[in-house]
Amino acid sequence: MPPAPLLDLDRVSIRHEGAEVATPVDVSFEVARGEVVLILGPSGCGKSTLTLALDGLVPHAVPAALEGTVRVAGLDTSEHPVGVLSEHVAMVFQDPDAQIVTGTVLDEVCFAPENQLVEASEVLERAERALKLVGLWDRRAENPDTLSGGGRQRLAIACALAMAAPVLVLDEPTANLDPAGIDEVYAVLRELASVRDHAVVLVEHNLDAAVDLVDRVIVLDAGGRLVIDGPAREVLRERADELVALGVWLPVSTLAAMRLRDAGIVLDPLPLTPSELAEALDALPSLPAPLSASSPVRSTALSPRPTLSMGPGTGSTGAIAVIGETAIRARDLSVRRGGRRGPIVVEGVDLDVTAGDFLAIVGTNGAGKTSLLQALAGVIPAPRGTVDVLGVDPARCAARERARRIGFVFQNPEHQFIAPTVAEELAQGLHLQGVSEADAEPRVEAMLARFGLESLRGQHPFLLSGGQKRRLSVGTALIAGAPVLALDEPTFGQDRARASELLDMLRTLNDDGTTVLVVTHDLQLVADYASHIAVMDSGRLLGVGPTVEVLAGPLVEQAGLRHPPLARATRGLARHTAWHSVTRMSQLPVSSKASS
Amino acid sequence: MTAAGEGGAVFPELGAAPVDGSEPHAASAALDPFAEHRTQRPSRFLYALNPLAKLAAPVPVMVVVMFSRGIALPLAFIVFAAAVLLIGARLSGRAIAALLLGIPVVALVLGVTFGVWIDPSSVADHPEASITLISIGDWDFTLAAYLVGFATGLRILAILLLSLIAGITSTGTEFVRSMVQNLRVPYRLGYTALAALRFVPRFGHELEIIRAAHRVRGTDVGRGPVAAVRRSLGYIVPLLASAIRHAERVALAMDARAFGAHRTRTERHLSPWRVRDTVFVACFLAVSVVIAVLTWGR
Repeated sequence: MPPAPLLDLDRVSIRHEGAEVATPVDVSFEVARGEVVLILGPSGCGKSTLTLALDGLVPHAVPAALEGTVRVAGLDTSEHPVGVLSEHVAMVFQDPDAQIVTGTVLDEVCFAPENQLVEASEVLERAERALKLVGLWDRRAENPDTLSGGGRQRLAIACALAMAAPVLVLDEPTANLDPAGIDEVYAVLRELASVRDHAVVLVEHNLDAAVDLVDRVIVLDAGGRLVIDGPAREVLRERADELVALGVWLPVSTLAAMRLRDAGIVLDPLPLTPSELAEALDALPSLPAPLSASSPVRSTALSPRPTLSMGPGTGSTGAIAVIGETAIRARDLSVRRGGRRGPIVVEGVDLDVTAGDFLAIVGTNGAGKTSLLQALAGVIPAPRGTVDVLGVDPARCAARERARRIGFVFQNPEHQFIAPTVAEELAQGLHLQGVSEADAEPRVEAMLARFGLESLRGQHPFLLSGGQKRRLSVGTALIAGAPVLALDEPTFGQDRARASELLDMLRTLNDDGTTVLVVTHDLQLVADYASHIAVMDSGRLLGVGPTVEVLAGPLVEQAGLRHPPLARATRGLARHTAWHSVTRMSQLPVSSKASS
Repeated sequence: MTAAGEGGAVFPELGAAPVDGSEPHAASAALDPFAEHRTQRPSRFLYALNPLAKLAAPVPVMVVVMFSRGIALPLAFIVFAAAVLLIGARLSGRAIAALLLGIPVVALVLGVTFGVWIDPSSVADHPEASITLISIGDWDFTLAAYLVGFATGLRILAILLLSLIAGITSTGTEFVRSMVQNLRVPYRLGYTALAALRFVPRFGHELEIIRAAHRVRGTDVGRGPVAAVRRSLGYIVPLLASAIRHAERVALAMDARAFGAHRTRTERHLSPWRVRDTVFVACFLAVSVVIAVLTWGR
């Protein structure tokens, strides 16, 4: 008997309550056992909403209207409650913290089968099998809070496996994880995919991690319509230009190859992984010399099309900072968390940041990156005399003095909003400086215009979109004229489109002379955008230097990080030793046409 | 079948890591509402009892203590409760020291702190009122006031120790489990409450970040209670926004895992009311009645 498809979607449209248009629209596809399907699409196309429809959360638990039919193992989801459908479809969500409900790892895995009234002995059997598969069986008695982010997400996968459902749906399972956590989760998924016992439906924007385990790709366009449904490798290789035009992010290696193709170096077929890229490059008898890292050509994994930079900063960034002089100086900086007896999270850091730099602080989770940044910006107090930001100790000077020198942007911009409208949010920083109402007005207007928020001046900050919130939070940090901007994990949990928007904005600010400090996990972003890198490990600063030098050296691996995809491809080239230092997209050769 | 492949092939290094399964995070166990007492259970009798029995027996006694007067009755119950804990629970050396040495010291100190709040005229007819311990200006701290304060302190300590009988020998999970199984509390309510316990530390952490973020914006100008209230109001919106979002996500995750799909759920741990629970409650109450009768009004 030919088995019915595990998932069968027929002309599915979903409109959220209050939304004017439906996304996704008119989507039809089937998924059979053993398939690993990746759903791609630009942000806002309804990928996540679609995953919620696969186990009946739409329309049963989420206020949204569903048209068309979704069949799970032959059951129409609109007619069966989520509890019944959960026997066939298990879900893993983006935020590992929001999926944990019990007190121990073992109880957590048993939670779903217990709800399904599975016999107690079988519950334990399933739990043991699932926990062993994800490598958490030995930690079953622990509180899930003691696991790392990657560990908690592996736990979420174990919980899904314990439901014994043939379909596993994962919605951006690694978006909140650091590189080590991403690797852990994909090691588990690779194991699952290799056995082909499940149908796996995956939404993921980090294609570099996912590309080698998916068989099939379904692509939605910005309006939520299904435009491509086909085998993964063929689609990514042969329709790469179409995907880029749709706003879908491709693996860094593929984007690099497309850049090379534009410059006249054709790699066919397009490589999807760093090792494929390395192989294809080594197959070529000769390559033009790469550009130097300081060339004016601008190109990144987020916006690969090469452009010319505007040139260096003007050198005048207000009276306080002068390009080329030291903006931030830290000497023997140590920080404890949670008071005098708390653990030391930053130890003996000496760091100078020159005005006009774009410094990225990198390291694994718990390396002390955020604490260092917060201490430099005066958010948490550092010992007296260890930090100097443009002539003041940021933790001890008045708020208005600090705000004129350094602006700090928290990971979640909402945390920083204090006023009922966008305009007042910006004006607040000027009131703190004692600027009169009349003088503040034009500066607020200028800031609204600079960040494209003019039409939203009367809006409540919490009602802005994610990207607008982020822009507003940067605006509030800069309005007092701070020449230094510090951002904590600005791209965490965001899709690439938003990350790109934000980083391009930071680069523009940096071009205009603003000194930028960021803490981030994403080393390809670091490679593409930062002028300098500081590498942290276990609270200590392993080293700091120009991006190209740090990425070419051993520090990244010493800190337990992996090189970014492009560096991984070029490091091992046998034929083209001149390319070993190529780590950023902007170093790839450009055609004479583009560079002129 | 669900799980593909047997055994922990994916993370051998984690499997090899020595994990002390007997007492994970012993230091934080007292603060962790979820921590299991699994390993201690066989050794002392309190762990073998139904959590409801450990609650049901002391509660009437607490009521009696609350309405008692004098020193003898709460003192007797402190000794009784401490004895039950020492025999029935496995306490660390530190906890035993706190019980034997800390309690008397705290009782003596509480006598002073409560005593100074006593209106001297209300104890003027006591014989001890004539004995003045300390005299500051025209205010006298009399022995009578001290004894009334001391009695109040003892009552509080007695109630505290009686509640510890259940409190330190059962976990939040065990309480919910026995309430669901024995008192027919709907499991949806019980387990949701348990899930909500996880929110508390999360929101504490979130509040800390919000406060730092607002400080950075310069909202810490102004001192005094008015500014403090205004500041706190500013924390509410971001905290609520993230709380609602988080709660929605948790609810979706629980729905997706069939929570509430059936009227009951499988219980891996049975928490029946056994004969020994009845015996414990009966004996506990019998001893309590004897103590109360002997010491009432003294």
